[in-house]
Amino acid sequence: MKRYVIDLDMSKCVSCGACTVACMDQNDFVVQDGRRPRRNIFDMEQLEDGKVCFHHLSLGCMHCTDAPCIVGCPSACLSKDPETGMTIYDTTNCIGCHSCAMACPYGVPAFGADGKMTKCDGCYLRIQHGMLPACVKACPFGALQLVDLDDPQQAIPAQHSLRQSSLELLKAQV
Amino acid sequence: MKYAIVGFGTAGYHALKAIRTQDPKGEIDVYTNTSMPPYNPMLTTYYAVGKLEYEGMFPFGSLESIQKEFPFELHQEEAIKVHSEEHSVETANGQKEYDRILIATGARAFAPPVKGLKPENAYLMRTVEDAQRLKERLQQGDVKNAIVVGASMVGIKVVEVLQKQGINTWLLDLAPYIFPLAAYPQVAQVIQERVEQQGVHLKFSVTIDHMEEEDGQQIAVLTDGSRIPTDIVGLCIGTRTNTQVVDEKIALGKGIIVDQHMQTNVPGIYAAGDCCEGNNLENGQTQLIGLWANANRQGTTAGNNMAGQEMVYEGNILHNITRFMEMDFIGFGDNRIEGEVLEYGTLGKGMYIRLVLKDHRIAGANILDNCSISGIVKNYMLRLFGGDTGKLPVYQRAALESAGLSSAFLDELEGKIHGCH
Ligand SMILES: Cc1cc2nc3c(=O)[nH]c(=O)nc-3n(C[C@H](O)[C@H](O)[C@H](O)COP(=O)(O)OP(=O)(O)OC[C@H]3O[C@@H](n4cnc5c(N)ncnc54)[C@H](O)[C@@H]3O)c2cc1C
Ligand code: SF4
Ligand code: SF4
Ligand code: SF4
Repeated sequence: MKRYVIDLDMSKCVSCGACTVACMDQNDFVVQDGRRPRRNIFDMEQLEDGKVCFHHLSLGCMHCTDAPCIVGCPSACLSKDPETGMTIYDTTNCIGCHSCAMACPYGVPAFGADGKMTKCDGCYLRIQHGMLPACVKACPFGALQLVDLDDPQQAIPAQHSLRQSSLELLKAQV
Repeated sequence: MKYAIVGFGTAGYHALKAIRTQDPKGEIDVYTNTSMPPYNPMLTTYYAVGKLEYEGMFPFGSLESIQKEFPFELHQEEAIKVHSEEHSVETANGQKEYDRILIATGARAFAPPVKGLKPENAYLMRTVEDAQRLKERLQQGDVKNAIVVGASMVGIKVVEVLQKQGINTWLLDLAPYIFPLAAYPQVAQVIQERVEQQGVHLKFSVTIDHMEEEDGQQIAVLTDGSRIPTDIVGLCIGTRTNTQVVDEKIALGKGIIVDQHMQTNVPGIYAAGDCCEGNNLENGQTQLIGLWANANRQGTTAGNNMAGQEMVYEGNILHNITRFMEMDFIGFGDNRIEGEVLEYGTLGKGMYIRLVLKDHRIAGANILDNCSISGIVKNYMLRLFGGDTGKLPVYQRAALESAGLSSAFLDELEGKIHGCH
């Protein structure tokens, strides 16, 4: 099994939103449903040690190794795609209990009018067919990348990588 | 290696999966006192109300498919005793020795007998049979009035089932308010108002004293003297760990006491899930934490260690999310601890969070009407208990702010955690 994730190089993102639009298009997202999109962008201004700092972020599912959402779901709706390692779902038996939301340290699972969970599935079907996830393909700055965890050369430099800088935080999640 | 897994709920299943992954050749015997695949007790009310099909209660599929994926020997017989000296499991058919034994016998619904309550009108909620019994009774259409005793997460789910069938339902508890083990009284108050608005009658600081019959109608006589006609009684008072199988050498509190490898005080004998007391990260003591995710983690940890892989499970905090009657209630940590209160939002009007801060930690939290901040809040609490300095990374802040928390509130929270405000 490949172990892919979608990682963000935080030094390259400019919050342009191309990834979110590509994701909405790929997944036939209907804004009127009231559901949070699978990928969201942020343009943050923060006072840090007396200085104003700017942060640009694009956040979607991190496709955690040992994903807490999988452990938390009472109906086994979430699982790892055996081919790509992406965290995918089948919500046939989803009871809308929101346990997955309580388990996710990134606030990813979202719910629509039918009460069932949806989230980024890493475009695993595209990957299985040799294509990039829609957001990665759309990013004009190479900030979003499809990373193979077993190929060290593909990794985004640790200090810029959203995934690597949040590993410690994930460790606390039980 | 020879392994025994005693009890095949989710803890037993996760241990099986871990052992088989680590040790493809080992001999694994699974003892179960049901003829069913592992089921999720929490899904019983969803089946009873018709939201899930029967198969939906078994999240890991059929026994055959599990056996195909993780081969094991199935023993459909009750384990009578786990003998710690001999390292053996005893059933009615004899005794067999093992190198490693896991006790994953879970818990059972427990209710003291109610005088005059006919067994056919008393309902517990834990097993598949419990769910089938209630579902069949409701299909008969002879239930007009019902009482549920126990204003817990289980009690409210049973109430929800009854209320959806149009049954006139009462919820009672000896405690003074709803969700007494998780909610702060102010939050409980708002939840109670909403539950009552949906037509459910609530009564606190009382329980059923005994049952009487009047012109063929069952009447519950409460401890405060009031009389309520009722056709059935749901007993959601509490649970007891299934620890009858352990012998006197295994350390026992309210459950089987385990270390961070999920090993008992007897080497080679492990316990996981609702039958055991693991570490509570909030106070460093062992405690029963009867939750699905906890049982899964504990089962996986036990299985890995049994198969010779070092794996540590540091513990958990009390945490619960209950979605019922179109609302989310989330409770984290120990709600008895007092400290400085920090709130955001207006209780009852959209997202609300109440945090109790103590010793630079979040000792407890209640969240109402928002689930999307819960994972990050829980993560933050866990990190603080683990000794983290307590800064919210920018991506968590971004998610919290987009869910509706203000940056001023988050600044205040961080400031108080660091004690510089
Ligand atoms: C109505 C209800 C609602 C719940 N809601 C939630 C919730 O919202 N969130 C949450 O996290 N958790 C919830 N829970 C708790 C959750 O279901 C449990 O924590 C979890 O299922 C425990 O799994 P387990 O494997 O330890 O035990 P169990 O599922 O109890 O499995 C133990 C198995 O061992 C068998 N066994 C017992 N003794 C023997 C023996 N001597 N020999 C052979 N077999 C034996 C039993 O028959 C059983 O099949 C709820 C529980 C209930 C009842
Ligand atoms: S825990 Fe959250 S981020 Fe991690 S895989 Fe699950 S949904 Fe994605
Ligand atoms: S809301 Fe659905 S997907 Fe999420 S934990 Fe509950 S059942 Fe699983
Ligand atoms: S497309 Fe690239 S640069 Fe633009 S918001 Fe998305 S990740 Fe950032």
